[in-house]
Amino acid sequence: MPYNPNLKPKIENRKFPVGYVVGGSLKENLRVRLTISPQEVQEGAFVVVQSGDWQFYGLVTDLMLGSTDPRFADEQSELRLPGELAALLHGQTLYTTLEVLPALMQEVGPDPEGPNFARLYTEWRQSHPKDPPLIPIKTIPSHHAPVRLAHAGDIAAIFGDPTDPDNFVLGYTREQGYPVCINLKKFVQRSSGVFGATGTGKSFLTRILLAGMIKYNQASVLVFDMHNEYGLDDTASDTNQRVIGLRTIFPGQVRVVALGRTASIRGQSPDFTLEVGESEIAPEDIEMLTRELNLKETTPTTLAALVHTFGRAQWFSEFKKMKQGAVIEDEEGKKIPAPDSVEAWARQAGVNEAAAAGLHGKLNRLFDAPYIVSKTVGDSLGEIIRTLESGRHVVLSFGDYESDLDYLLISNLLTRKIREKWEEHTNQYRSHPEKTSEPRPLVIVVEEAHKLLNHEMAQQTAFSTIAREMRKYYVTLLIIDQRPSQIYDEVLSQLGTRISGWLGDDSDIQAVLSGLAGRDALRGMLARLQPKEEVLLLGWGVPMPIPVRSRRYDEKFVQEVRGRSLGKQSEADILKEIGF
Amino acid sequence: MSDALEIGKLLRANVTGCVVGCAVTQLETPQFGGMVRIPLEKNYQVYGLIYDIHIDDDGLVRQLVTARRPVTPQIIEDNRLNRNVPVEISVLFAGYELDGRIFHLLPPRPPLILDTIYPCSPEEIARFTLAGRFGYLRHILRAADLPVGELLAAHLKQAGEANRAAGAADWQGKATQELIVLLRDDYPALMSVLGAIGEL
Repeated sequence: MPYNPNLKPKIENRKFPVGYVVGGSLKENLRVRLTISPQEVQEGAFVVVQSGDWQFYGLVTDLMLGSTDPRFADEQSELRLPGELAALLHGQTLYTTLEVLPALMQEVGPDPEGPNFARLYTEWRQSHPKDPPLIPIKTIPSHHAPVRLAHAGDIAAIFGDPTDPDNFVLGYTREQGYPVCINLKKFVQRSSGVFGATGTGKSFLTRILLAGMIKYNQASVLVFDMHNEYGLDDTASDTNQRVIGLRTIFPGQVRVVALGRTASIRGQSPDFTLEVGESEIAPEDIEMLTRELNLKETTPTTLAALVHTFGRAQWFSEFKKMKQGAVIEDEEGKKIPAPDSVEAWARQAGVNEAAAAGLHGKLNRLFDAPYIVSKTVGDSLGEIIRTLESGRHVVLSFGDYESDLDYLLISNLLTRKIREKWEEHTNQYRSHPEKTSEPRPLVIVVEEAHKLLNHEMAQQTAFSTIAREMRKYYVTLLIIDQRPSQIYDEVLSQLGTRISGWLGDDSDIQAVLSGLAGRDALRGMLARLQPKEEVLLLGWGVPMPIPVRSRRYDEKFVQEVRGRSLGKQSEADILKEIGF
Repeated sequence: MSDALEIGKLLRANVTGCVVGCAVTQLETPQFGGMVRIPLEKNYQVYGLIYDIHIDDDGLVRQLVTARRPVTPQIIEDNRLNRNVPVEISVLFAGYELDGRIFHLLPPRPPLILDTIYPCSPEEIARFTLAGRFGYLRHILRAADLPVGELLAAHLKQAGEANRAAGAADWQGKATQELIVLLRDDYPALMSVLGAIGEL
């Protein structure tokens, strides 16, 4: 049954506390004695603790059954005593303890229902003219401080007001259904990650995030759409229902680019196609394919020699033209390498012939790639960059070229170009801010990120540089992966916002939580998320970790996003859309 | 208050309780667990609970029990009415009242011999038990030699009815809850008390 965020809260009166603090520490979390039925509070519930002038915000990470004496728990006293008496006994001797991970605290001033509130508040206001900010937890509430479930106002105070245009509702709290926002402005400032085992709804969540980013126009988005999911309308693999693509929602703002000259994506035509000129391919693009092409250790030497002989622009086309193993007979009838052979060039360049021949053989897959052409029809690479610079968004669909080789080569090559361009633009802007406009923030969306950012390759690809340094150059990554443990630690640790669905593997859970406070408490929560539509928001981009029921990517969502975005469109955009 | 029938007169006392003597003919009024009061001075009276009713033998009864002749109803009646040995009623002090205020503390000084003991009316029981927060229960629970469970069950029955009549229908539940809190670290004692209360 679909989740209805408008469901009325289960507990009618949230003013009453659900328990009181009985112990704990900053290191080992707070322990709260529950005064209501344990079924009314779930793991991940967002709770507020009031203690003195301070309010503490935390997350329920565990619920434990306890008893004042083990015998009260062991004996089924309800069988021995009348029901009413047994209930009284259980009420006093059996209890539930909540473990609460405290995350934030805020000074809120005197209790409005306490004595002399007016006078105390006036005095407090004089010493605190501005509302004190939320700060990470630095102390703990007192014994017996009342604990209550958070209400919509608390959620909005922490995660942002849903009506603020900078905030985007990503989901709803699991029990109460209050909207939880992420601040998109903050979200695009650092690289982010969406994780989850297969089938946990990563693609839908990514669509929602992308729609949010496009709608609010905070940054340009480039999506490396390996499985042709995001740009055009699609059919959901599990429900067989139509899934609306981003171009359909934002027709004037999203351009779908397909790889290869004659490419079509499931029978639909893209806005333009992408071809790569042979001159665009650099030796580092090849080195990055070491694992995929099973290249040898001699490859960098051979590539360096090729560049030395033919130059950076020509080496690929010249190498492609060479014949492997071609021989001719010399004047004495002895077989020697033909002048246009790989071996002849190797001999001339002082490179190991076998190594050169081996590399040539392995590069055959690239030589045969239809999207690598000697002369491109237009400047499709430049067109992509210009589109992004102009504030629009690009979904690069790989069409029929869904192999890892195609994906790795093209995404890395394009990202390298973009990185160079954005670095140049940023440096110009920093040198002459009065003459140059500020670069448009760019988010590069990478699927199957572990293929590009694994421990062996991360050092070589442009992606790891972006994850580590490009924040300063207005480029960040949104990486989507089901095996976060395969991603290089240095990249993972730089991820600001992490959004994770259910993960089963311990190493993946550990990877997602790396570098975060309270990860022991969050580990179990991550493993116990619902397999679908539940995600845990973590990291720098959210004030505190919180599990949410993710928003549904349905007709209602599309209408909402589309309606507002059309309302914001300029007249020029509308004219462009209708063909003028 | 002054219209109440007396139960008996005080034989001996200390600060935690006293023993009252009465004739067999007076024995219809007092009951195990019943609440009594001992007015001492103006504006000062002690409250207690009957925890034992002791009937001692004498020489004549011993002879009659071993007599070969049948003991006729007349003989039984005669021995009960004209016997010299009183019935002894043991009372555990639960608190006192001074100048109209009820304290669930032991009385400052015990009553003196031949002070008169009266049963409490339902209104007096409700007034005493609703004052404070069940502090008097600790005097009962401290008395290790007494049948605490049975005594509490009898008291809760009597006081529960009195409080219900006074409009405090939830008193018995609250009293039970308080007993559970006081005894929850002593599993055998608590289960014994609850077992007795469960019989009500």
